[in-house]
This record gives sequence, C-alpha cells and structure tokens, in this order.
Amino acid sequence: MLVDKELLKETLAVALNRGGDFAEIFVESRQVAGIGLEGGKVERMQSGVEAGAGVRVLAGKATAYAYTNELDRNGLLRAARIASRALGNGGKDITLDLTTLRPPVVFEVRNPPETVPAEEKAEKVKEADRSARAVDAERIKQVMVGYGDVVQDVIVANSAGVHVEDRRVRTRFVVNAVAADGVIQTGAEAAAGVVGFELFDSHDPGEMGTVAAIRAKSLLKAQPAPSGRMPVVLSGAAGGTMVHEACGHGLEADLVQKGLSIYGGKQGQKVAASTITVEDDTTLAGKYGSYAFDDEGVPSRPVTLIRNGVLEDYLYDRLSAVKENGESNGHGRRESYQHKPIPRMGNTYIAAGRDDPEQIVREAGSGLLVQKMGGGQVNTTTGDFVFEVAEGYLIRDGEVGPMVRGATLTGNGPEVLRRVALVGNDLGFTIGTCGKEGQGVPVSDAQPTLLLGRSRADSPIVVGGTRQSSDDGPEVRAVKPGDPFKDQDFRLGRIRRL
Amino acid sequence: MSSTDYLAVAGAGVEAALASGADAAEAYLSSGTSIEIDVREGEVDTIKSAAEKGVGLRVFRGRQVGFAYTTDLSAQGLKAAAQRAVANAALTAGEDFYRLPEVVPEYLQVDIFDPGLPEKQIEEKIGLAKQMEAAARTHDPRVTIVESSTYQDGIIEVGIVSSTGISAYYQGAVCGLYIALTAREGEDHQTGFAMDFRPRFVHLDPEAVGREAAERAVRMLGARSQQGMEVPVVVDPYVMVSLLGMLAPSLTAEAVQKGRSLFAGQVGNQVASDKVTVVDDGTLDGGVRSAPFDGEGVPSSRSVLIEKGCLRGYLYNTYTAAKDGVSSTGNGVRASYKGGPEVGITNFFLEPGEISPEQIIGEISSGLYVGEVMGMHTANPISGDFSVGATGIWIEQGRLSYPVRGLAIAGNIRDLLNAVDAVGSDLRFFGGKGAPTVRVSKLAVSG
Repeated sequence: MLVDKELLKETLAVALNRGGDFAEIFVESRQVAGIGLEGGKVERMQSGVEAGAGVRVLAGKATAYAYTNELDRNGLLRAARIASRALGNGGKDITLDLTTLRPPVVFEVRNPPETVPAEEKAEKVKEADRSARAVDAERIKQVMVGYGDVVQDVIVANSAGVHVEDRRVRTRFVVNAVAADGVIQTGAEAAAGVVGFELFDSHDPGEMGTVAAIRAKSLLKAQPAPSGRMPVVLSGAAGGTMVHEACGHGLEADLVQKGLSIYGGKQGQKVAASTITVEDDTTLAGKYGSYAFDDEGVPSRPVTLIRNGVLEDYLYDRLSAVKENGESNGHGRRESYQHKPIPRMGNTYIAAGRDDPEQIVREAGSGLLVQKMGGGQVNTTTGDFVFEVAEGYLIRDGEVGPMVRGATLTGNGPEVLRRVALVGNDLGFTIGTCGKEGQGVPVSDAQPTLLLGRSRADSPIVVGGTRQSSDDGPEVRAVKPGDPFKDQDFRLGRIRRL
Repeated sequence: MSSTDYLAVAGAGVEAALASGADAAEAYLSSGTSIEIDVREGEVDTIKSAAEKGVGLRVFRGRQVGFAYTTDLSAQGLKAAAQRAVANAALTAGEDFYRLPEVVPEYLQVDIFDPGLPEKQIEEKIGLAKQMEAAARTHDPRVTIVESSTYQDGIIEVGIVSSTGISAYYQGAVCGLYIALTAREGEDHQTGFAMDFRPRFVHLDPEAVGREAAERAVRMLGARSQQGMEVPVVVDPYVMVSLLGMLAPSLTAEAVQKGRSLFAGQVGNQVASDKVTVVDDGTLDGGVRSAPFDGEGVPSSRSVLIEKGCLRGYLYNTYTAAKDGVSSTGNGVRASYKGGPEVGITNFFLEPGEISPEQIIGEISSGLYVGEVMGMHTANPISGDFSVGATGIWIEQGRLSYPVRGLAIAGNIRDLLNAVDAVGSDLRFFGGKGAPTVRVSKLAVSG
C-alpha cells in the first residue's frame, strides 16, 4: 500500500499538535490512460502516474489544507506541519487508533483497464471514427473520438479513527462529429461509468459513432428553434441536466448554510409537485457518480432529497454536517488530493412515475420535445437555471414534428418542479463532469419523461432560440460568472457533458 | 531545487527516453507552490497550501510520437514513464510533421517573477482578503452575503530539456484577488463578483476589487423585465472576454487544419469590423500568461491575429507550423506537465480603442448595456453560435438608466464581430484574457 497505518497516525498526530479539532489525510495514486483520435488518425496516446496526499486540519470554523506529491515520511510530515501551523495556536498530544472500514458496496470490475492492451483500446476509437464517417462521407467533416480510463487508489484516515482504502476504476468514451453544409453543426455521444473495459459490452463504439454523426448531420437541416414560453417535454432519454441544475446544486448543504440556496430552511416543506421524488444514490452499480466511500471515508448510501414533493434532506459532507450537529450522508467529494472535500452530487435522479411517455407528448399539444440535453448552469441563490438542448423537436398537435437547433431553456428550479404536469414511467441516465469551486467530479443524472406546463401561459420554461420573436421572449436572470483565471469558468455549479 | 538540479532531472528524463528506444525526446518539468486564502465575515475560512511537481516526457520514434507523465522523479520513476511513452508512440499514426523545435541562442527576458512575493508573510495576504471583504460591505449595506473573499498566489518553475539541445528554465509568479457576493433588498437578490490577477504583489488593490464587486451586485437591485427589440448593445469588458474566449479555439492552426475553425481559409479576408484587432502576446508586460518560452521551448511572441477586421493568421506550435511550412508562434501551450504542447493562447486580448466607455454609452439614445451573461459555456466554438441569458442596464438618452433582466441574446460570433462599431479605451484583463468595453451597432435582444 502507498502509505502504512503507522505513518498515517504519525501524520495525523503532527497535524493536530498545534490544536485543531479534527485532522484528516487523503492519499491518492492515479494511473490514467488516454487516447485521442482526430482526422481519422490516432494522434495522442498518453499515460500517466500521479501520486499525492492532502492533509486537512479543522479548528473552530476554519480549515487548513496542505498537499504534496512527496509521499515519504518527510513529505507527509511537512504537509502536516504546514496545515497545523496555518491555524494552530494551542498544543496537544494525541494518540489514536485507526479502524479500517468495510465497504458497503463493491463494484465489480470485470475487465480492469490497466490489463487491456493499448492496441485494443485504440481499436475501439478507430471503430467509432469509421462508422461516424460512413454516415455521410461528404458532410461529416471531422470526427473526434476520446477514450480514457482511470484507476484511482485512495486512502483516507482521520483523527476520528476512520481508515479506508478504496480503488475506483472509471472508463469513458466520447465521440464528437462535425457536419458541414454551408453551416457547421456538431453532434456528440458519450458513455462512461465506474466500470472497466466491459463498458463496451453495453456500448458499441460503432453505434456511438453513428449516433453522433447522425445527430450532427440532422442538425444541418434543422430549423432555428423558436423563442418564448411554451410547454416542454423532457424525454426520459434526454438526461438529467434539469434535475442537476434545478435542484441538485441548491440542495448541497454548504451553499444552504452560506445562505446561497433558494432551498435553505425549506426542510419538511413542499417544494415540488407531489409526483416528484428526487434521490441521489451513489451505490448504484456501474454509474459514473458511484463510489463505495466518499472522499472523506464515509460509506456510500442512497439519500432521498425530496419525497413526494416534500424536501427531506440535503447533501452533506463532514464539515457541513458537523455545523448542524449531524452526520455526513456520504457526499463529501473532491477532484483529487489537491482539493479539500465539499458537498457534491453523485447519481442524482427524479424517480420514475406512472405516465406513458407517448401519452405525455400527445398531452403537450404544441411545444418543444427535448430528446437530448447539453450542459447547464444555475444560480443557486435564485434557483434560476439555463441549459442547452442538444437535440430538440417541435411538437405540433401532440405529434413530434421537425428538428430544431440552437435552443436554450431557462427557468426557475422550484417553480419548474412545482409545475411538472406529468411524470413518465421511464428513466434514462446521462453522464457529465460537474464543476463547483474549480473542482470537477464525475456525476450521472436522470429523469423520467416530464411534461412542463400544459399551455403557453402555464409553462415554467422559456425557450431561447435563435429565431427571434418580439412578443414573449426568454427570461433569464443574473448569475455569477466563472473564474477565468482557472480557464474553466466553473466557479458556479454547472455541468459539462462529456 | 536550483535551476541546475532542475535541468539535471529533466535531462535524466531525456536520457531515460533515449535509453528506452526513442530517437528523440523532450522532458518538461514543472513544480510549483501556491497558497489560497478564503476569508468570510472577517475571519479565515480556509487556507490551502500546495507543493507540486511532475515531469511530462514526449518521445519521437520514426514518424510516431508518444507521451507519458509521472510525479515520481526518481531514476526508476523516470524510466517507467519513458517506457510507457515509447510504448504509446508505437500506437499513434505516423506523420512527417512531428519534430522538436530548434535550439535558440537566447530567450527574451520577461519580467514575470516578483522576488518580493516569496518574502510576504501569510498575515499580510490574509489582510488583503479581509480588507477586500470589508471594502465590499462598507461600500453598500445591502451587500449581505460574501460567498468568498479570496487571496491566491502561486510560484512556478519550468524546465525543458530536449535531445535537440534545448535546455531552458524560468521562474514565474502570479498573485490575485477574487470576491463573489450577494446584495439583497427585500426579496430581491443580485450577485456580483470582481477579480484581479497580477504578476506583482504591490499592484493588488483590495479596496478597488471589493468595491467593484459590490457595485456590480447593487446596480442590479430592482431589475425589471424589458420588451425585446433590436437595439445598439454595449458589452462590458468581462462579458466581451467570455465572447473572445469562444473565438480563441478558431484562431489556432490546430482547429484550422482539422476543419473545425470558423476562420479556415480566410487569411487576408475581412472577418470583423475595422474596429476589431485581436492579439495574442506571450511577452506582454504585466501579463499573467507571459513567459520567455512556450511549453516546448519556443520563444514567446506577439501575434496580431485580426488587424482592423482583417484576418492575419493563426497561432502555431511546432507541429502545426511544420504542417503549414511556417514558424511556430510560440503557442505550444501546456496546461501542466500532464499534457503535451497543444496550440493555445497566452495573453489574448482585443486591442483597446480611443474612446471612453462613457462616450460609447453617451452616443446611444436607446439600448442595452450587458453586464453579465449566463450559459456561455454552452456556446459552440465550432459553429460560432451562441444563445445566452443576459442582464444589464437599459440605456436611455446616452445614460445608464435602470437595471433590466430577463433578456436573451442569441446569434453568431462572426455577425457580432462584424457589427462592432466602437471599442473603448478601457482594456482590462481577467486572468490571461482581456477586452475593453465594446459597442455592437444592432443586436436582437429578446425579453
């Protein structure tokens, strides 16, 4: 193992020897492989090994965090001293025992990616490229395919005596196609999970290439999306960007405690239609946001956030839980040893309902069908969110009509959740990288088919298309922008689709 | 590490790669220390200190290239990374244009290291963050929540050694302030932020940054909705920077060669109004992305990409330059030792004009000043299409008159650049990107 228990204990003791209420060490070793194809050629084959550790000390309301990638005794004790000095002014000696916890779930990796020859990985990438180009040799101008796998070994130990060792294996595959025909349009298809190379047992690279290319090509002929308020059907296949943005971020306990969430102080209150139940279940097998332990060593478990429309719980890490004299519910996550843990989503979804998805489209009358959602962003203080439509169709007289492009949907989280008219009996997950405070973590999310609004006037969603209309246009309110210093612009809770 | 030790480790990486079967190799070694201090309600919330180092090895074998990185700088660690890099090379498609840059006799001296920064005590840094928060709260009592008031700095060392004889080293530093807050009046909440990043500590002004964030939030209180119409639109420097960010990928030779640039085949053509000059300058005085050389040891340079609306050229690294038979512009940018030198921007900005923002606004009888946009990351840099939510201040008779929200702006970046009819003198940088206030003659605003 990377660091033995004795050294962990010694590090924790040094971290607390200036005072401090709690100390923790997070050790990580990350082995990654990546392949990039563009222009029909495998251009990039990369692999890397990165190891490091972060030491955290909590004293009163303050946090000190120090990290290093020197994992020997000197390196770890130096980090512990830096963290303890940043806050400490007291002094105490502690002795502690570390008890190793057993994982509540085990994710079986049938085909560990580190044992798969790189040739085989490269072949998947080429296969997706070939089938994407085969869709339309003339109009598909470019295909980009990315493959990546990560084997992350972590150790978490803290002054409460917790000791956890965990291995997380993730594999992802993304196809982007560019179609041009006077205009340029793009289409993407992605798959990823806490799985090994068996990802491809359920996701055929050739099919994914075809889907991405067809999506890009179809958009060439699509008309610009309309603007204004209208009934919107979010297909069960469209993904969970709406639930992620409309309520997920606002239910993260740190934002609630800072007074930055519209859901603050609403526990026990009705915040959504009675047909809406929202869960975050990180124990689900294979999903991209799954884990056995969170990044503070707390065992994973399902959390019900909203039950039948009533707000039941928030997403907690240790620090936010302690502030309310409670216990973490296993949502303290971090991007790597370079970051302190904060409350994050895992696999967030609206539970399936009873309505028939086809019937839902018929009931919409005239509006917009969202078949695939793109990225989104939310201002948790107001609940206002925006997300893009990657694939959308007009609905006319209850029938699915022509494809439209360039639509952005805006709405207010609590308002949208209260005005969900119908909830489908289906459920489809999508994957993404969720950004918050400069940290990106893998997540998945899902929704059943939903009808939002039964008429133009009644709809809680405004479609902001490129086709301008002067009567009743989009409504988007202020939101904080990102931090361009980091060049990733995701200080706010937002999601980027893979 | 001293610069000599530094280059010795990188040199050992190159040796390991050659010993593993590479024909040519390059080691990029970087290490850094940084600190980030968050203050809330006058007290330290979080202090984060970091020490990080690692090496990336790029190896060439025949017509193929491979890459691997590691944080293990021991002889054993370097050897393992070298072997992985060589194995990776074997699987990439061969090309005639993979090569290492030539040795240059001397690099330009760029002033990017503030020797005073490592001397600064942490108390002084905490003091800046506290001062900034206090300035924001004092500026207006309606500033009720400060989400974070942050001081940040980082010192980085970079060393590159290659088998073609490059042996280059520099040390750089950057420090900065960032604040995000909420102003409240009754049930109305509005958010504001401000930031300032500089190479030199003495140039940080916490009072000004705090006041600016407060002002941005407070000026939006009481915002109302507005009828949509086609009007002149004035774009705030920060919003213009996010629009420019969308433009940047299209100006790389990488995107052009791969058929995903709006500007492919347009050199010499008018692609924007004659008020628009876009520059990338890796040697910019005071620029946080300035450095003597890029991620493969090519000297940094100043590239005028769009001059008075005319497209002059693209940004290149060594590979894309070889492909086009030109010289690298010194834009082989690495995000860290974990990646290769991809074509990217350094200090990327819209050149300022001569007219003040007040004058730009003063010439409008009815129009919109856009203060913030939402959802810019969903814009499509390949097609240039964007559809974003917007808030700002309505302009009446040449004056900012009342805050508005509930607006959307959608269109294509090229149409927007063509419609620019005034560029302000107030160039401001937000990290590595900069822009002044800009006026677009006519834009459909829906609301």
